[in-house]
Amino acid sequence: MTVPLRPFEPVGSDQLVELGTQPIPVTPYCDPGYFDLERDAIFRRCWLHVGHLADLPEPGSYIVRELEIASASILIVRGKDGVIRAFHNVCTHRGTQLVAQESGRASKFSCPYHSWTFNDRGDLHAAPDFNRFFVEKADCSLKKVAVEICGGLIYINLDAKPNQSLAEFLGPLKEQLDSLPCATATAFAEYHYEIDANWKLVYDNFQEHYHLRFIHAKSSGGAGTGPSNPFGYATKFEFIGPHRKEETWFNPDFQPAHVQGIAMNALASDAIKQGFPPLGNAEYLCMFPNFFMFTSSFFPFSHTVFPVGPRKTRGVFRFYWQGEDDSASQRFAREYSLAAMRDVHAEDRAVIEAGQRGMCSGAIKHIHFQAQEALCRHFFNTVDAAVQAYVAENRERRV
Amino acid sequence: MSDDLLLPPGFDSLKAFVSDWTIRTSADRASYRDQSNFEELRRFYDAASPHLARALEYLDAKPLSVHNEQDKRLMSLMLTLAHVSLAQELQVEAEGTHALSRRLMRITSSTADH
Repeated sequence: MTVPLRPFEPVGSDQLVELGTQPIPVTPYCDPGYFDLERDAIFRRCWLHVGHLADLPEPGSYIVRELEIASASILIVRGKDGVIRAFHNVCTHRGTQLVAQESGRASKFSCPYHSWTFNDRGDLHAAPDFNRFFVEKADCSLKKVAVEICGGLIYINLDAKPNQSLAEFLGPLKEQLDSLPCATATAFAEYHYEIDANWKLVYDNFQEHYHLRFIHAKSSGGAGTGPSNPFGYATKFEFIGPHRKEETWFNPDFQPAHVQGIAMNALASDAIKQGFPPLGNAEYLCMFPNFFMFTSSFFPFSHTVFPVGPRKTRGVFRFYWQGEDDSASQRFAREYSLAAMRDVHAEDRAVIEAGQRGMCSGAIKHIHFQAQEALCRHFFNTVDAAVQAYVAENRERRV
Repeated sequence: MSDDLLLPPGFDSLKAFVSDWTIRTSADRASYRDQSNFEELRRFYDAASPHLARALEYLDAKPLSVHNEQDKRLMSLMLTLAHVSLAQELQVEAEGTHALSRRLMRITSSTADH
């Protein structure tokens, strides 16, 4: 959804205090034990965004996604019947990882170790000298993983029996995701990063604007800050169960530089041609636990933050587009959008890592979120509630 | 090949940049910006940016799929300009230090590469 440009009206602090005002402990950002709890309480239970239908354009397409926090490798396949299925990328013979390539096309998957071969439904199709085993082929299928689609986005759930459908998990965001350009995108651009920081510290950086004028003074070029809103604060916050979103402010008096202006005009023309609003304050969706989507026509990016270890994370940014480039102006505009946003995101890395080093130095026990960092506080509250509920659940089980 | 055939008619002033600044992929264009010093970036920006609007208008006259080699070179120069303009219009004196962070954001896919 895009709303018209208008002068800045801040969200009052009084509207945000119900999230709490207390300092936030640093332990959850540093402690390996807390990270282990997050794995079991959140990442082995929640729906996790892992790809897009554009990754699986035709029957036989497959992708492999590594989820380091759960030590899981997931094989996602569009079968000959068009159905998308997900499996643990693990041969049921001796546990060898079945597929090494990140993506490709195949109708069968053969284990490199002893050549057990599975079809695109996960059934064991053939295994050399199988009559010497003490098991039936029907009992050797690949282990299924729950998979669902929303807004063109592929989600998996590592819980063998998810306690919610994806639609229930996303709530009202499902309808919004279904209406975004991403839902019908068939092409994407992408960049990756790795960073020495806890996943929550990384995620927090991308859901607050307080740092814009200090870290992004150059790359933002004055589009996101202005005299009426020097910090570039959001104009609206919304909290939706474990998820949250904001309306980002776009400076109505922004004057682009020469090439920047040509690129933005081309992006706006393209959006109009495809029936999407070209201008306005875009919404920024922060979907639990680790996924962002920006609804801007200029910078239509998603960002997934994958925890790797207590102090190590990797991120994937994607720009989803309607179709392959079909004109020079469109190709130029997309290249500019990718390069410009990469410039912004590159500026965040060093300061996030510096934050991690400081937090884990033992010098401070708490950090502080101000009212306009409300999304960070809501996120912390949600993570910690899930972890504490999991701890209580296990305590009850032991009693 | 004669220099006269390097670029479409009307873009002769950019011929000197063809050998270094026509670059095949988005990742390579980003990387070339990182490796270039500010003076090299400035020379390319000053030469290419006045022609951007006209170049896109010329190239838009036919679909990408039927672009000939001259068209493709001009397109590639303009795509490199997208990266270089960020150095010249936005980063300016911060470009050198910004390049160090940028390298760690690895472009792995781009529609312009297809």
